[in-house]
Amino acid sequence: MMSNLILFIILMPLLSALLMQLLSVKLGRSVARISVAATLISVLLSVVLLWLSLSGDLPGQTVSISPWTILYFDSLSILMALIIGLISLVVHIYSLRYMAEESGYARFFVLLDLMTASLLLMVAAGDLITLIVSWHLVGVFLYFLLGQDTRSPSAYRYAFWTLITYRIGDLPLVLAAVLLYQAYGTWSLPVIFEQLDQAPNAHSVLGLALPEVIGILLALAAFARSAQFLLHTWLPYTMDGPTPVSALMHAGIVNAGGFLINRFAPIFANTSDVLQMVFIVGFISAVIGSVLMLVQNDIKKSLGYSTMGQMGFMVMECGIGAFSLAIYHLIAHGVFKGTLFLSAGSVIHSARKDDGVPKGELYTFVVEKRPAITRKPWLLMAAITLLVPLVILVLSHWLVAEDYFQKQGAIILLFFGWITGAQLIFATYRTHAQNLWRLVLVSILSFTIIIIGYVFVSHAFDVYLYPDAAFREKLYAAASIGKIRFDILVVVITSIIIVGWLVAYYSERNRKGKHPRYTGRLWTMFYALISRELYLTDLYSLLTRIILSSANKLNVWLRWN
Amino acid sequence: MPDIYLLLVGLFLPLFPLSMVFNALFDRVQHVVLRSILLAGWPHMGIAIIHSIDTGVPDWLIAWALVTSFLYALRMLALRGVGQWNSFLATSMWAMLWLMTTDMSQNMLHMYALGISAPLVLLAFLSAGLEKRFGAAYTDLYGGLAQSIPRLSGVLVVVVLAAIATPLFPGFFIMLKLIMDTSVAMPVATFALLGIWLLWSWAGVRLLQGLIVGPASQTAVADFNLLSSWSYVIALIALMLSGIYLSGGLL
Repeated sequence: MMSNLILFIILMPLLSALLMQLLSVKLGRSVARISVAATLISVLLSVVLLWLSLSGDLPGQTVSISPWTILYFDSLSILMALIIGLISLVVHIYSLRYMAEESGYARFFVLLDLMTASLLLMVAAGDLITLIVSWHLVGVFLYFLLGQDTRSPSAYRYAFWTLITYRIGDLPLVLAAVLLYQAYGTWSLPVIFEQLDQAPNAHSVLGLALPEVIGILLALAAFARSAQFLLHTWLPYTMDGPTPVSALMHAGIVNAGGFLINRFAPIFANTSDVLQMVFIVGFISAVIGSVLMLVQNDIKKSLGYSTMGQMGFMVMECGIGAFSLAIYHLIAHGVFKGTLFLSAGSVIHSARKDDGVPKGELYTFVVEKRPAITRKPWLLMAAITLLVPLVILVLSHWLVAEDYFQKQGAIILLFFGWITGAQLIFATYRTHAQNLWRLVLVSILSFTIIIIGYVFVSHAFDVYLYPDAAFREKLYAAASIGKIRFDILVVVITSIIIVGWLVAYYSERNRKGKHPRYTGRLWTMFYALISRELYLTDLYSLLTRIILSSANKLNVWLRWN
Repeated sequence: MPDIYLLLVGLFLPLFPLSMVFNALFDRVQHVVLRSILLAGWPHMGIAIIHSIDTGVPDWLIAWALVTSFLYALRMLALRGVGQWNSFLATSMWAMLWLMTTDMSQNMLHMYALGISAPLVLLAFLSAGLEKRFGAAYTDLYGGLAQSIPRLSGVLVVVVLAAIATPLFPGFFIMLKLIMDTSVAMPVATFALLGIWLLWSWAGVRLLQGLIVGPASQTAVADFNLLSSWSYVIALIALMLSGIYLSGGLL
């Protein structure tokens, strides 16, 4: 009974795709309702599964169809299946009217169903082959979804960028799967994890411990899927595809990297240096994604870089051992980014008539970027900015677990929370509201609610996804660095943050409105660099041209035989 | 003496520059049935010869086969003719069979060769269909097939995906098997295989984009009728099922 339920979650969108293809001529556009109904049923079944899982009636369930067709429904896959189903359902319903004027209406829904089925299969994969197959197919279906408008060469050009990056990411996953099979003689993930748990260092590859090699390969696959730095250029450029596809992609598909790292958590728990590398890549992606987002003047491209930054944060969370937090992050990001994309069209539409921004203090600060005039004691404001977020963060984390501050990952997260909170108060300060204190208090209250909510929900995710406390400790341990090095880093970073904020307030107070000559030139160079997106797209285009030209020369030289 | 036989095998399981013979012959033969026979039968002769001489394959020959496969995969990127693209892909794929000749039974090797060739035969028929409709099967010449002949385009997309070893078609499982066999003993070969697989994907996408994308062609042409469409659909489903069946022996 339970295995049927599990199977139906994946089969519903597949069945719908088949019915749509067969009935589209007869039923016309109303055929899309089949697709919506099938997705709805799939979501309802996922809700039942989640409910059973939460009530403890559903331990990790495996449905084995053949040696390499195994479905594994543990807490991670049940949660992810529900999220994918929900996002897909929203996108389906939105597309009913949004795509009504487009050609290839039925084809779009068929592809959407196939994509949903592939994503569900990916999160439910209990063996390596099913995982590779679904992982690969997600890239293929995304390519055709992004190229829904077959008249548009530019849509296909950027869809190709996506596909080729995804294919680059498929290859390390294939290699990791094959190496795991060679070592353990099975494709089944639960069996591999069990054997790994019993003897973590039993196998090696080219003189390196197997978990290290597999961890690096899996991380590379995750980086390509989640648009991490150097493999990110496809993401902001895939805006020629239909808006519902952008929403699905940014809310669901790019999160696959975080899912993959979580799925292979038992591997990462047995690594020593991989998670640190993951952290660094995530950190660089978060910073560069956020910086590039700020210089975009196109709302959709800006959202694309924002996604890159968010994915960087998600990967970074994995890098500090906070795996369940990454899942929470990807869900939260999926919900808000999906909403932003689906509403982007109407925002652009209404902004063409009237931008609707009141010409108040916020407008002059955000849009006109007028220099501020400080009216409040800057040292007092700087102290509030630095201390209040820190107190809120420390107290709220204390409520969850007293030993929270023993974990390196938690402290790193606190740093980011601290900077975010401080940024919020600083931004409030710069608006120069008539009643600044009231505005600051409202900001602090919002921050407190968000932090307490965030801490409690992430703790709940931790307990649900990784109920074994010893395993959670093991993950944090795998992500940690030496105590002395860490303590030195904490002191250095804290000093930088404190001095940085003091300088920010001081210079805000004494602002003259002009940069010195040398910093002005540096600033211009930096702006040129980021406005050209670090020249990475130019570099990749150049490489592509060189490869194609070499292939052409070879053909001429060998007389096309 | 076996080395001379191995060179003869190099004609049928193509090794560069002997591979140029097959490509020149394929180019010369224009009839679709003859092209299909060439695609379906060519590697089987090589497999039969290599098993009859019963000799091991030296490492340098494996390296040569991989270089051949890589060379043709790379050259596919700059091709515009669908027929030539088909013969280059065949060359690139068949060269990989050298990696399996030592450990595999003759029957299994014939099955693999068939699994590789089957989508290429379908592509040869589609290429002939395009030539009949437009006078040539070239990319970036007319384009917009998805608008003008959607059924044929749909079939073309799936056939090309099958040819470039997309799951769940036989090529995918064959690539997986090759990677499994080389990952421990010959890691360099594994990386080469992964690179070649990537190049096929790139070449496949370039081919599709040059044919199906763009505004509809001005020339009015007939699309597939239902019977033709269903014939291809059934062939592709059979191919997929055979891929899954083949995986039973592979994995």
